[in-house]
Formats: sequence, C-alpha cells, structure tokens
Amino acid sequence: MSASTTDRPAPLEAEVDVPPTGDGSGDRAGLSDRLSRSVAEHRVGLIWSGAVVVLAAAMIAAGMDVGAMLVNGLGAGAIYAMVALGIALVYRATRVLNFAQGELGTMPAFVVVLILLGGDLDGFVDPAQVSFGQMLALTGLAVVIGASMAVAVNLFIIQRLADSSPVTSLVATAGVALLLIGVQVVAFDLQSRTFPQFFSGSIRILGLRFPSHTLVIACVLAVASVLLVGLFRTRLGVALLASAQDPFAAELHGVSAKAMSSLAWGIAGGLAALGGVLGAGVFEGITPGLMTTTFLVHAFTAAVLGGIGSPAGAVAGGLLLGQVSAMANTTTVGLGISVPNAPTLAAFVVLLLVLGFRPLGLLGKEA
Amino acid sequence: MSATTVRPSAAPRDLGAAGTPRANVEAQSERLTTGGVAARTAVLALALGAVGVIPLLVAPLTRNLLATTAVYGMVALSLNVLVGYTGQVSLGHSAFLGVGAFGAGFVLTQLALPWFVGVAVAVVLGVAIAALLGIVALRVRGLYLALVTLALAVFAERVLFGIEPLTGGGAGQTAARPAWATGDLAYAYVCFAGLAFAWLLDWRLTASKAGRAIRALRDSERVAASWGIDVTRYKLLAFVTSGAMAGLAGALFASITEIVSPITFSFMLSLSFLMMVVVGGIGSRVGVVLGAALYTALPFILDAGAARYGWFPVDGSAAQVIGALLLLLVLVRFPGGLAQLFAPLIRWCSFKPMRSRHGAASATAGGGSDVRP
Repeated sequence: MSASTTDRPAPLEAEVDVPPTGDGSGDRAGLSDRLSRSVAEHRVGLIWSGAVVVLAAAMIAAGMDVGAMLVNGLGAGAIYAMVALGIALVYRATRVLNFAQGELGTMPAFVVVLILLGGDLDGFVDPAQVSFGQMLALTGLAVVIGASMAVAVNLFIIQRLADSSPVTSLVATAGVALLLIGVQVVAFDLQSRTFPQFFSGSIRILGLRFPSHTLVIACVLAVASVLLVGLFRTRLGVALLASAQDPFAAELHGVSAKAMSSLAWGIAGGLAALGGVLGAGVFEGITPGLMTTTFLVHAFTAAVLGGIGSPAGAVAGGLLLGQVSAMANTTTVGLGISVPNAPTLAAFVVLLLVLGFRPLGLLGKEA
Repeated sequence: MSATTVRPSAAPRDLGAAGTPRANVEAQSERLTTGGVAARTAVLALALGAVGVIPLLVAPLTRNLLATTAVYGMVALSLNVLVGYTGQVSLGHSAFLGVGAFGAGFVLTQLALPWFVGVAVAVVLGVAIAALLGIVALRVRGLYLALVTLALAVFAERVLFGIEPLTGGGAGQTAARPAWATGDLAYAYVCFAGLAFAWLLDWRLTASKAGRAIRALRDSERVAASWGIDVTRYKLLAFVTSGAMAGLAGALFASITEIVSPITFSFMLSLSFLMMVVVGGIGSRVGVVLGAALYTALPFILDAGAARYGWFPVDGSAAQVIGALLLLLVLVRFPGGLAQLFAPLIRWCSFKPMRSRHGAASATAGGGSDVRP
C-alpha cells in the first residue's frame, strides 16, 4: 500500500483548497464571510462556469444554435455521467479504474437484443413493435445481468489482485472488456443491430426541441443519483463508505469489506447496464464494443474532471463534459473549421488541463 | 533482499565472491564446461537459423503475416521498455505505431523521398510523441498516466489520423516498399531485421548503466534519486527509446500492406499490445516477442484448424476471447507469463547454469506481472 502516497499527483497549485485556520470565526461566521470562503474554495469551478457563460454569449452573438447545442450536450453528457458514476463508485470502493464499465453495459444490452430476436440471430428487431412495458421488463433484466457480471468480475478477478498495483487491476479490467467484446463478436458478428428506445420522437419544452430519449436518459440519471445519495445515508451506505475509506477499520467494526466491494461493483454493474440500454438507444443500434469505443474514454475524462472517487463529481463532470463536447462541435462547425471529431479533441484537452492544473478534479477531496 | 548498499546503476556484483564485475562475469562463464558453451552456442545458432528460414518455409500468402508478427514483436519490445523496465504503463502504443506509419507514408507518397528517409522520419516522429508523453509522465503517475496514454491513443485515432492532408483520411495513405525489397519474402526479411535491431537495442540498453538506472526508477524513484540517478533524464531516455522502436516498427508496418488507414490504429490495438507483453512475461525480451507472435498468429492458427479439422471448436473470430482469457489467467494465476514457463530454458540459453545460484537474480530480471504504477 506504500504506493498510495505516490500514486496521486500532488496538486500543482499550492493555493488550492487551503482549509481556513481556526481564527475564532468557526461557527459564528457571517453570511458574507461564508460566501467569500465558499467562493475562494470553488474558485476554479466559478472561473470555468464564467468562461462557459462568456463563450455561450459569444456563440449566440455569432448566430450559432446554442439551444440545440445544450440539448445535444445534455444527451451525451447524461450518458457520460451514468458511466462515470459507475467508474467513480468502483474507484471509491476498491481503488480500481474499471475499464470494463462500458462493456458491462453493452453485454446486457446485447442480451436484450437476443431476447427481442427470440434467439433468432438472423432476424431483425423492429423498434416500433417493442412496447413500453416489454422494454421496462427487459431493462430490469439487463440491470440484474449487469450487476451479477460486475460482482463476478470483482470476486473472481479484482479481489484476487487486491495486493497488486492499481495499474495491474486496470489491465485486468481491460482484459475483461476485451473478453466481453470478443464474446459479442463471436455471438453477434460485427454487424450493427437495431435497438429500441423507450419513447421515440421529440418534445418541445421552453422553445427547445428535446428528443424524448434524451429526457428519458436525464430522468434515469436523476433518479439513479437521488437513489445513490439516499443509499449513502442508510446504514448500508455508511458501511460502504467506511470500508472504502479504511477497509481494516471497517472490518473491526463488523463490516465485511469484501461484501461492500461487491455491493459497489454490483451497483456499478447495474448502472453500466442502464447506460448500455440507454446508450444503444441513442444510436438506435448496437455493435460489439459500442459503449467502450463510444463513451468510455469520455466517461473516464468526466470522472477525472469531477474528482475521480466522487460520485457527485462524476455526474457533474459528465454533464459538463457533454456540454463542452457539444460546444466544441457547434463551434468548429459554426466557424467552418474542419477538425475531425472535435468532441474527442475537447475531451483530451479537458483531461490534460484537469491533470495539469487541478488533478483533484472539481469536487475531489484529498483522500 | 539482503541489506546491501550497492548502487543499482553499478554493474551487478557477485557478493559472495569478491572481485570486479568483469572478474565476476568470467567466474560465471568458467563454471560452464567447454561442452556446455558449445551446446548452448549450437542450440542458439540452430534456433536463430530456424527463425531465419521460417519465411522460406511457409506458404507465400502467409509471409505478410510473418512480417506483421515481426513488427508487433518490435512494438511489444518497445512497450516492454516502458511497462517492464521503467514501470510506466502505456495504452498509447497504437498512437506511436500509427505516427510512425503515417509519417513514413507521408514522406514516401506525398514527398516522394527515398525509403530510408521515410524510416528516419518515422523514428523521429515516434521519438517526438514519446518524449511529449514522457514529459507528461514526469508529473502524472500511475492510473492518471494510464488515462492520459489512453486519451492520447483515442485522440490520435480519431483526430490526428483523421486530418486528411496528412493521412489521406478514411482512404488512407499509400506507402511503397523499398525498391530492393518489393517481394513479400524480401520484405519479411526486412521486418525480421527490424526486429533483430530492436532486440539488440533492447539488449544493449538493459546491459548498460542506463538500463540499470531505468530499472532502479521502476522500483522507487526516490531511492533511485538518492543514489544519484537523474530521474528526469533516465525516464525520458526510456520513453525516447520506446518511441524510437515503435516509430521504426510503424515505418515497417506501413509498407507491409503498402497502405496505411486510420482504422488500423484503434485504441483497442494498444490493449492487444499490452496483452502481448503481459502474457509474454513483463520485463522479458524473449517473453514479449513470443507473446506478440502468439497473439498475431492465433486467429490464423484457429482459422487453419477450423478449416482442416471438423472437430475444431472455434475459428479465428474467437481469438480475442481466447487471448483475453489468457490475459486474465496470467494476471490472476501465473504472473510471469510465457517467460516464466520457459525460464530454465531462457537461463540456459543465456550461458548460465540452468538453475540460478542466487535465487532472485534471474535472467529475466522482471518484476512478475505486476504492472507497476
């Protein structure tokens, strides 16, 4: 465990997050005092948000469709956030960066396809034929499958590598991802298959045209986040947090660290499955390795942006990164600059900036 | 681990028998009988000869596969310099390879310069991108470095290799073979020569003071620094060496099919390279090249099996499943990989007694499969 001290890059800005020293103003601090302290603490976030607002204003002035950009950003960002949430949870509980988080979602989504096809792999799923109730039941099944796969990965691989370095575990989860993609290729070939959405079409809210699917994703993300916040307030959730913070001390208090890590992996697997079903819905189609190739790197970036072990940070980071990606897209298209795949470029730049200037992320805390 | 105070960058000394390093080497060779030396030389020559005649023996259509195997062997050696010796993980080797390949392609096709210029440019580009990553690695460590390298691979795949004037976009960039090696057989030998060069480079690196310094960094940067090892310099040296090997491999790779397309250098390819190194045996030259050969040939072996025998359960499409299972098996159960499996043989072939007299000081000098942060 000696690595834990050298693992994390030290904050490069010395002035970040300096805790206020006891000067007697502790509890009785005035509103303005507390406000200024909170501003000082969240300076970086505020500067970022300010920059984003200024940019958005400039874009409106340049005649770009900022409304559509926000909607697109929400759609992508909510998926990033969902995958990043699972990554953050697993990282918090077991200190493992889960490369298989995407594939733990694609696999259950493929099981959904298999059931919709009735086992006939040469068939074709007509999204219009799939009812809402059917879709709901299948999503539930996908969540169960995703959760059990994740628990199995934890028990059979991650726990056995508990004594090795975090990078070894990362390589192992990458192996799991490759394994799952390989199984998908063998079973379903490399072709793309149609995938149903919960609701198709779009809704107009406040003058903006929202695809219904985007709203579904946003709602699921909101519900999942609220449930997680609720979980962390129960005895079970506190036990989970305790064993993440100090497995040894938690064991002394009768918490099984192994069970807690499986719980975290299980929840993450469920989230991955939700992400898989909804992510495949975004494209209305699914190919082997979909979540890994499309969302995983963005989700990692989102998790780092938010502060890698922080679930709230992951959600914030995902939503923010979605907006940044959409903005990169709209700006380059609007200005007529031909950049191949601007969102990927934006994500890469964001990752480098965060690691260079604020390695703890937006909401990360010194562990 | 006895409490010695030998600097890791000093040549290894036999602590039991006093004497200078050179005397020690002589003392060790003296333990072998003349027959032993002769036997080892004969076996090595035979093995080398056997590898050398493989391109002549195989069906003409599989010669390009051999060339690819040699190139992937070079990439595995290059990745091994980082993962095995320096303890820095890289998920960005597909980008290194791609930069070399596209650099060579651009020079050969767009600028119409001679083949060797293309190779030189590829090496320079490989060194440049690796040096940049090395600078990042001076500040960013462990999992964060893994993420940066992953993001670099994805960035290269989707942004860099998509810039049409440089890479030809989706259509790809042509890269002709040198005029003196246009045939598949001749070009396979060119790739074999590249692998041999990378092997020699790696061998000289590990045998030198720099190699020992780099391995000392892997174990602990602070301890290494306290012994007077310039951490910055040697870490960058490791990245640059790795980048040069990968750039060279990229130039050779470009001309195998004579067309380079961005889709080849997906970030998943980086994972395949990592699989080769881990399954082959982290830190072992022989191991990682064997791993590369295994992973490159596996789909074709399976395909051939499926075509020839009715009972064969899988075909080439299952190669990734088998490869990933092997990776997990190695990580969980068998940390030394293929190199550990052949450890006595590898020791014997390095002109040492088959069993190590000093236990830990093994020929493979690896740290098990622990991919250190």
